[in-house]
Amino acid sequence: MRRAYKYAVLTAMIVSTLALALAASAGGLGYALPFPAVRNLAYWYLRTTYNPFMPKFTASAPEAVTAIVWDYRGLDTLFETSVFFLAIIASMALMRGIEVRAPESINLSKYGMSAIVKTVTRITVAIILAASASIALHGQLTPGGGFQGGATAAVAPLVIIVIFSLYFAVGSGIKKKSMLTLRTLGLLGIGVTSFAVIVAGLILGKAAYVFQNQPKEAAPIGLPSHILGVPMGGTLLLFNIFEFLAVAAGFTIVFLLLSVPEESVRKVLEGGEGHD
Amino acid sequence: MADRLVKAVGPAVLAFITYIIFSGSVTPYDLVTATVVAVIVGLLVANLMIHNPRKLLQVQRLGWLIVYAIRYFFIDEVKAHLDVMSRIVRPSMPINPGIVRVPYYVESDYAMTTIANSITNTPGTVVVDLDTERKIFYVHWINVKALEAERTRKEISEVFERFAKRIFD
Repeated sequence: MRRAYKYAVLTAMIVSTLALALAASAGGLGYALPFPAVRNLAYWYLRTTYNPFMPKFTASAPEAVTAIVWDYRGLDTLFETSVFFLAIIASMALMRGIEVRAPESINLSKYGMSAIVKTVTRITVAIILAASASIALHGQLTPGGGFQGGATAAVAPLVIIVIFSLYFAVGSGIKKKSMLTLRTLGLLGIGVTSFAVIVAGLILGKAAYVFQNQPKEAAPIGLPSHILGVPMGGTLLLFNIFEFLAVAAGFTIVFLLLSVPEESVRKVLEGGEGHD
Repeated sequence: MADRLVKAVGPAVLAFITYIIFSGSVTPYDLVTATVVAVIVGLLVANLMIHNPRKLLQVQRLGWLIVYAIRYFFIDEVKAHLDVMSRIVRPSMPINPGIVRVPYYVESDYAMTTIANSITNTPGTVVVDLDTERKIFYVHWINVKALEAERTRKEISEVFERFAKRIFD
């Protein structure tokens, strides 16, 4: 019985590996391509994403994924970001009234990991933040973007919380309220950017759309497609910067909430000390 | 605020270099954004990273750092690798593992961490714990040659400590 089970698992593994290999290679070799209508769509995206010879259609960003996320389907991404924002608001509401404050006369060097790890982290935090900013600010050129950069930046507060302790993090300004302010500013920036071109159009007396990026046939205005000779994709750079702020702050709030000691939570839930 | 600005210089340079290397290009756009990012990151981490910004101005520290990097990677690392390799390939496997106390006499955290990481990065020795109050590393050693504090320091970390003191203390 045990033996039969072993052979069954082995056979299943071999069959699924072969099936996956067949699917992957057959797709690449041209036996089972998607039907032509879908291929035309992909072809259109790739042809227009960065194409100075089609100025009425291009999104002006060499990175097709960013162009699709923030231009072709920008409204969808806006609501995605809003869903994440609401999820964080909901978790903050769930944990309302719970404040983490370092106890009086606390020796922070006793908390967290060893002095060696702390010293190394003091340097790597700067490196993490610089690399994450590069990911966000090159989102229109290379793989990456606001979400990826923001998620990377949130690693910095995460390692500070784990390696130096939550009390140290809160004491050095990584607080729920300041992070919520940053996150709201980021989301506000995304909102303003999505209306930027239509507001400009109203002022200049030209037709424009919500979420417009580059000039279109019937709406001949848009944000600059190049800055300092580098393709910027107009609104894409702004969206990436604001999304970077929003995501970095959002993840930091989640990390702060998750690292609250259970005693502090229980104190508030049971209506003891700390409940106003 | 002025204090923070002075402290931010070092971290800002580090952030600038990281940004440029990570981006892998040096167009005017990269240089402008790198400068903005470097100033912001520098100000954010200034107090975390730097205690005494005056040390950055003492150029001889940078010189010792370069000398130490070359010496560490081309002499100390090679010697430790050859030693461990010969222990592995010999059929008798002449090892005598154990954990010993190694004291250190530097003041700053950066100097202490330099010594600890130098010990760990050479094959054959690993810092497994430390006591910052008594200033002792607990080091796992593949071939324990001595147990007394001063002799273990002479065997394991004397060179590292000499350079760490000149660079960071």
